[in-house]
Amino acid sequence: MSNLEFGPIMRALLRNKVGAILIALQIAVTMTIIVNAVFIIVERKAMMERESGLDEANTFYLTTTGFGKDFESKRVTIEDLALIRNTPGVIDAIQVNAIPMSGSGWSMGLATQPGEEIESVGTANYMVDDHALNTYDAELLAGENFSPEDIRFRERNQSDWPDLAIITQALAKSLFPELGIDEVVGKTIYIGDNEAMIIKGIIDKLQAPWVGWNNLDHVTLTPEMMAFPSMRYLIRTEPGMRDKLMTSLEETLANQYPNRIIRNVETITATRDKSYRQHSAMINILTATMILLTLITALGIIGLASFNVNRRRKQIGTRRALGASKQAIIRYFMVENLIISSFGLILGVGLTIGLNFMLIEWFAVKALDWYYIPTGVVLLFVVGQLAAFGPAFRAAQISPALATRTI
Amino acid sequence: MLKMNNLCKSFRTELVETHALRNFTFSVDEGDFVSVTGPSGSGKTTFLNIAGLLENHTSGSYLLDGIDVKTLSDKQRSQLRNEKIGFIFQSFNLIPDLNLFDNVDVPLRYRGLSRAERHQRIEESLARVGLANRMKHLPSQLSGGQQQRVAIARALAGKPRFLLADEPTGNLDSQMAKSVMGLLQEINQQGTTIVMVTHDPELAMQTSRNVFVRDGQISEAETIMPLAAASNQ
Repeated sequence: MSNLEFGPIMRALLRNKVGAILIALQIAVTMTIIVNAVFIIVERKAMMERESGLDEANTFYLTTTGFGKDFESKRVTIEDLALIRNTPGVIDAIQVNAIPMSGSGWSMGLATQPGEEIESVGTANYMVDDHALNTYDAELLAGENFSPEDIRFRERNQSDWPDLAIITQALAKSLFPELGIDEVVGKTIYIGDNEAMIIKGIIDKLQAPWVGWNNLDHVTLTPEMMAFPSMRYLIRTEPGMRDKLMTSLEETLANQYPNRIIRNVETITATRDKSYRQHSAMINILTATMILLTLITALGIIGLASFNVNRRRKQIGTRRALGASKQAIIRYFMVENLIISSFGLILGVGLTIGLNFMLIEWFAVKALDWYYIPTGVVLLFVVGQLAAFGPAFRAAQISPALATRTI
Repeated sequence: MLKMNNLCKSFRTELVETHALRNFTFSVDEGDFVSVTGPSGSGKTTFLNIAGLLENHTSGSYLLDGIDVKTLSDKQRSQLRNEKIGFIFQSFNLIPDLNLFDNVDVPLRYRGLSRAERHQRIEESLARVGLANRMKHLPSQLSGGQQQRVAIARALAGKPRFLLADEPTGNLDSQMAKSVMGLLQEINQQGTTIVMVTHDPELAMQTSRNVFVRDGQISEAETIMPLAAASNQ
């Protein structure tokens, strides 16, 4: 340990502390920002990677809006769906009121008992037919799918609800936390305070349209199609057929019934990208900030170490003359940097925790997982030592003969 | 203990080759106090650097305690410098950020001595130069003469076989120079071999042998007769 010269280096640093303190502060601030930024990035990435339940790579949707007095929405919907479903390469298709992750849709409150005073659980509502599970690629965990007889048409201005529903597993657990999935099937739930619906089935997973919503996995499917002039079709294709069918089906539907506009032909992949665009941007900004800060810190360390080497050329020559090997000179500067970095990192740990408390208080982010701090310490320690190695290596190349030069 | 035979040292630039030492043949025996004198640019410092293993010679041979230093690696040369040679520099070369204790400790740490032994040696050597009570002082708090005494203590603490002194009184006034020279003579009398480079003929006369260097070679004709040698004759 005596060869590490901790004591003399510390005492020498205390006599020239300004540069060292500035670098230690820079390391502390860098650690604070990097650790919290990495934590936010990991959280955002986990959020972005949540499964929607859909066969995303092979699913797209389009909006069709009919016009003119002769437009018969029910007939057109039935004919459109028959045409789409019979198109080679299409696995299944449904008419739907909203698209998962798209940012717009319907939501309602569900309760296990009727009454305004009963606390309800929020859910997204998708109005679908008996092809929904196949189109969504959803797995039925309990109960049954809708039958064709269950499906009704919802007219414009109609506000009542069908008496059947299929719900997601997550919603079932929120509504009936004490029951198993099989026990939930057949239970009555109440929508809009007092309209009863019987749970016909439970599916594994499906996401609501709003990616920032706390109840993202709360989804209710009701057996109905909309007799509206404007409607959406969600179409699931065989692998590799999506892009081709996006073009051909748009053309086919337009030819099938010319008095309509077909727009918003979009993949689920694109919808996901749009919905998480802000998160992606934040990740990119934070990543760039982290890289920049790490570079600035590394340059600061290189700068201070280089300055110290240049300032001490004679001293290094003297040390070499007195018996220091090249390794001993490298070790000296590495230990010096280690001491400076250690002070910075100790301060950084405190600041990191402090900033996380502030972020929890102001932006309701989660508390930092414990392992982020030691990881940040190790990372910056390695960056610091790598940055110091170059100047230390150059110092070791100083000739011992410099000791006898008078200039 | 130090034997140079036909030793040459040349420096080459793009345009010119300079011969700093030419066919330099020289030896020092155990217990000698040799002064090396000569005008500026004569090769004194080059000789000192080679003798102290601070740089390599170009050709010829140099044996230090029977070891051919040309064959040594950089690490082995460092170790040999640390164990066998003590340096005293013209401008003292103390480390300004370290107190006297830590300054004297520098070569001892490179030797890997135990903490207790290092402490004992530092205290002894600082006491020997009369600065035991100023261990916690910084070099900047001392006079030039005192700083050179610390440098001597640093050299002595390693218990070297021989001391290499480069103009040890060059930056001191005459009173302090006399005191430092007295200390070196005392050290020599206690058995340490000393080779001192100086431009001062008066100092050279106080050593046991003088070598005069001109144009990278020993000039027998200009050798100064030391007082001790003169009184023996």
